[in-house]
Amino acid sequence: MTLATSLQSDLGRARDERGEVVSVERLEGGIVELTVRVPHLAADARPGEFAQLRCAAGIVPLLRRPMSVAWIEDDCCSFVFEVVGEGTARLAALRGGDRLDVLGPLGAGFTLPRAGGTLLCVSGGLGCAPFPLLASRAVAAGARRVVVLSGAATAARLYPAARFARGAARVEVREATDDGSRGHYGRVTEMVLDALAEAPDVLAACGPNPMLATLAGVLERAADPPRLCEASLEAPMGCGFGTCLGCALPVRADGAAAEPAWALCCRDGPVMAMERVDWAALRALPPASVA
Amino acid sequence: MTIEATDALTLPAGAEPALDLRVDLGRALVLPNPIGVASGTFGYGFEFAHLIDIHRLGCIWTKGTTLHPRAGNAPPRVAETAGGMLNSIGLQNPGVEHVAASYAARFAAWRVPVVVNVAAGDVAEYVAVVRRLEGVAGVAGIELNISCPNIAHGLDFGREPAAAARVVEAVRAATSLSLTVKLSPNVTDIAAVAAAVESAGADAVSAVNTYVGMKVHLGIRGPVLPRGTGGLSGPAIKPLALAAVAAVRAAVRIPVVGVGGIRSAEDALEFFVAGAAAVQVGTASFADPGAALAVLDGVVAYARREGLQRLTELRWSPPPAGD
Repeated sequence: MTLATSLQSDLGRARDERGEVVSVERLEGGIVELTVRVPHLAADARPGEFAQLRCAAGIVPLLRRPMSVAWIEDDCCSFVFEVVGEGTARLAALRGGDRLDVLGPLGAGFTLPRAGGTLLCVSGGLGCAPFPLLASRAVAAGARRVVVLSGAATAARLYPAARFARGAARVEVREATDDGSRGHYGRVTEMVLDALAEAPDVLAACGPNPMLATLAGVLERAADPPRLCEASLEAPMGCGFGTCLGCALPVRADGAAAEPAWALCCRDGPVMAMERVDWAALRALPPASVA
Repeated sequence: MTIEATDALTLPAGAEPALDLRVDLGRALVLPNPIGVASGTFGYGFEFAHLIDIHRLGCIWTKGTTLHPRAGNAPPRVAETAGGMLNSIGLQNPGVEHVAASYAARFAAWRVPVVVNVAAGDVAEYVAVVRRLEGVAGVAGIELNISCPNIAHGLDFGREPAAAARVVEAVRAATSLSLTVKLSPNVTDIAAVAAAVESAGADAVSAVNTYVGMKVHLGIRGPVLPRGTGGLSGPAIKPLALAAVAAVRAAVRIPVVGVGGIRSAEDALEFFVAGAAAVQVGTASFADPGAALAVLDGVVAYARREGLQRLTELRWSPPPAGD
């Protein structure tokens, strides 16, 4: 293992930019969509890449918050999250005209399907964040069809279906709720087998790590899985650019390696080929929200 | 705009008094300015080289480097706290061979001095790592980590003056490079450890490494970090680190490198008052990659404003013992 030569992401594209908040929308169910004028990030970010957002000028919270780029319009980027602590509370309390330091783009993003191909997105809860941009870029790249499976605990917490497509043609959203209040009654992962029957070329997933582990199990049992399955993972991060080594995720070791193998979520991910992840080890970890 | 020592020294005669920022850490290691970056917060510099002008830094103290590659601890490895963060990385590093054979050539092309932080589990391993770095172009010095709280036996050498002296003596005999010893604050008497490593041949000491801390999560009714504790860094430890620097300063004649919670020029200046000859910016670089450079600019601006020629003029003299 080496630290420098395994660089997956391209840090040369990252820049710390002082953005200007354009809007903070509060959607139903506590979902927040923050839009910031950040010309460099808007020009350069690819689906699945993320940025580090500085929440406060002072020392609480001390660290930035990593957010996938959800949408790009002109020179603005949008980020989708819910308030889970002090950092996200501060971001949600921003107002138009406020300044916000945004470092990005960071990390490795999703692979787009080839022209004429189809893309299946599997979204759990706030795992919706990278999919509006991914769906639109896939369509722009010539994808024949994009299907988004969107799941949440209850209807109010589903990311609005229209926001996945944002006017793009050929994007279809199918919903699931744990309580059956809308769409499929159950987990979003239960809808995957049916969607695989439509033979998507590429599968892209994002959600809580346990959901992704469940999805990995579904894919292992599938008769004819997509040729490429990628997932955006999460881990508590210190820096977001590969220096603090804090955001380790378990990956399958090469051959007979004695030591456990770790990848860095921020640098080797957040988007990784699902076959690379050690899902059993990941499932055994405490949820990322614990930190 | 920074005034580096070399620029300042070439001011024409009759100009305002030159500000000399250089810091002599012994054995031909002279830092161009006293603002560097702390071990474990800057990797080996490669990531930051994409984000900031690393060549303006006074020094890069690298990630702790061991004899063999280490994969590091199981996650989660970091946890944010009020004004700080806990880490339990477990010395993930590519091993000294990779650093010496691959990274050092890149360091050699940089203007900023790179001091390799060395960690080990026993005296023989410390000596082996240091020997591998001897004479390697690009390695400007050694910082001996006798104070990592996140590996088994990581603290064993830092806790007790005699044990610390033993490892420093062995390493001193194995290297001609400038040798700084990074002290643990998790001790009864840090000044005694500092005095012991000075006697054993250290050229400088850095104070302090992280404080052992714990974050508990009620939801899981247990600590967030799997090993229970981690090392606390960030602004939360600054008052503790300042006290440690002052105590160490009073106990040794060699330079003291101050580290702990520095994120602004004011913070750094406080460490110079407490007795530091140079400082390391650490955790602040995670939230603001340009933090160390902003500290440097602010310190230089202050020194110019105050008409200082050397930052050691800021040093506070403690009242005599017994008062």
